[in-house]
Amino acid sequence: MTLADTPAVASAPRERTGDPALVSVRAVSMVYADGTVALENATLDVGAGEFVSLIGPSGCGKTTLLRLLADLAEPTSGTIAIAGRSPAEARRARAYGYVFQAPTLMDWRTVRGNVLLPLEVMGFPKAEREERARRMLALVGLERFADHYPWQLSGGMQQRVSIARALAFDPQLLFMDEPFGALDEITRENLNLELLRLWRETGKTVIFVTHSIPEAVFLSTRIVVMTPRPGKIETVIPVDLPQPRSFETRETRRFFELATEVREALRRGHGFEVED
Amino acid sequence: MRHSRLAAWGPLLVVAAVAMAIYLPLVVVANYPLAARTLARGATLPCDSALACTFFLRNPVLPAPNQLLGGILALSWPPGAPYALPLNAWWTAIETVVGLSLAATVGFLFAVLLVLSRAFQLSVLPWIVASQTVPIVALAPMLVVLLGRYGVQGWLPKAIIAAYIAFFPITIGLAKGLQSPDRLALDLMKTWNATTFQVFMRLRIPASLPFLFTALKVSTAAALIGAIVGEMSTISFAGLGKMLSENARASDVVGTWVLMLACALLGILLIAVVDLVERLVTPWRR
Repeated sequence: MTLADTPAVASAPRERTGDPALVSVRAVSMVYADGTVALENATLDVGAGEFVSLIGPSGCGKTTLLRLLADLAEPTSGTIAIAGRSPAEARRARAYGYVFQAPTLMDWRTVRGNVLLPLEVMGFPKAEREERARRMLALVGLERFADHYPWQLSGGMQQRVSIARALAFDPQLLFMDEPFGALDEITRENLNLELLRLWRETGKTVIFVTHSIPEAVFLSTRIVVMTPRPGKIETVIPVDLPQPRSFETRETRRFFELATEVREALRRGHGFEVED
Repeated sequence: MRHSRLAAWGPLLVVAAVAMAIYLPLVVVANYPLAARTLARGATLPCDSALACTFFLRNPVLPAPNQLLGGILALSWPPGAPYALPLNAWWTAIETVVGLSLAATVGFLFAVLLVLSRAFQLSVLPWIVASQTVPIVALAPMLVVLLGRYGVQGWLPKAIIAAYIAFFPITIGLAKGLQSPDRLALDLMKTWNATTFQVFMRLRIPASLPFLFTALKVSTAAALIGAIVGEMSTISFAGLGKMLSENARASDVVGTWVLMLACALLGILLIAVVDLVERLVTPWRR
């Protein structure tokens, strides 16, 4: 595939699962009250089990798109379906876990208490809550810190708690909004690897917002390149790096080729213009 | 706990020593002219120079430390006597604590309504603010008369006066605290489809606790003043405020200073209790 004939609006390649799209976005636009077009005519399909990254500079609508999927905002026009349901229905059915830029842990709860919180809100029986929290903390390697308070953990550990919390109620989907954006490069690369392991082990579908090109290439099965003013989908780049990926993946020729492809797509959409 | 006992008490003792170093010369300077005149009149005093007598005047301008200590001892035994500090401080403390509890209840209700309802905020908040601008000295006797008509007498009206002053900082502090969770935390609760009640119980209320305790400390001081002013400005049979007005009528300078010290001590004690409760209720804080 050459860059020139990459469709500006892409439908999902189904080579990974062959299932009908788990997430279906059709001609979705979002215009704020002040007239700012946060997202224009976005169309995207995400199949079950995919790891899709949304990449682009500030103002490209990547966080907006994620918030629309999560029913934290409503589109001005267009339709969104998550497993055949509206985002509001999907939210009420607890179809997704959301991880924000900040860990957003409750100061007054221990690590275990934070993972228990969604389970309490959702009314899981006590024994099951405890069992799930224990399993989730083991999954992110934080069993030993179960009784620590958030302030006693590093930023990376706090974000792992936040991921364990999002997975605790076993949602089909994981929405992640620049979860490692505030972390240093070394911690970020370690957590990238750990996230890929979690993705493999749990079989979740992940939609991941980032503005780091290497992070997007390393993690994703497909990269949705977005550009600002108005926010729109520039192109979708499939990532054919073999699984499972490791630290060495970042040093392969294909990794650099894909990173270059993403970078050029961003430039084509003026993604490198100075932000205002 | 991290500090040794000396490290905890050391700074306090240094401040006490500095206060004494300023206070003792002040006693001499303030009382010297009166001491000289009293000696010249030939009054019987347990001292023979004007300088020494600055510490032994019957009604000094500024009481000496030995006189304050003597006053405290004289007013402390037996502790249950109608004139004794412990009994009266006990009643003032009861009024303050009951007033604070009342204030916390009302403050919590107001704070929740302020957070939940923009209409309540617009319509009632100005009245809450206005209520605090009425001088409590003017209001207290009116309240006591009004409450007396419905059979509410004794210490309870004073507790209500204390609550009247104390609910304001609690309302404002709690409203601030209930609104302290950031956008992301609220979004997170929404992604879990949490009810408004769950958001209050599991996010807003725990997040407001540090704000509540800060407000409670301010309110404790205010409630104590409210209780004392309530006692002073109405007919009272017990309390530090009652003792203060009696002493003022008797022009007992030493007694008045002793009572001021007692009020300060009671305030420190009550705020220390609030501090202790805070440590127990918010163990996650550094």
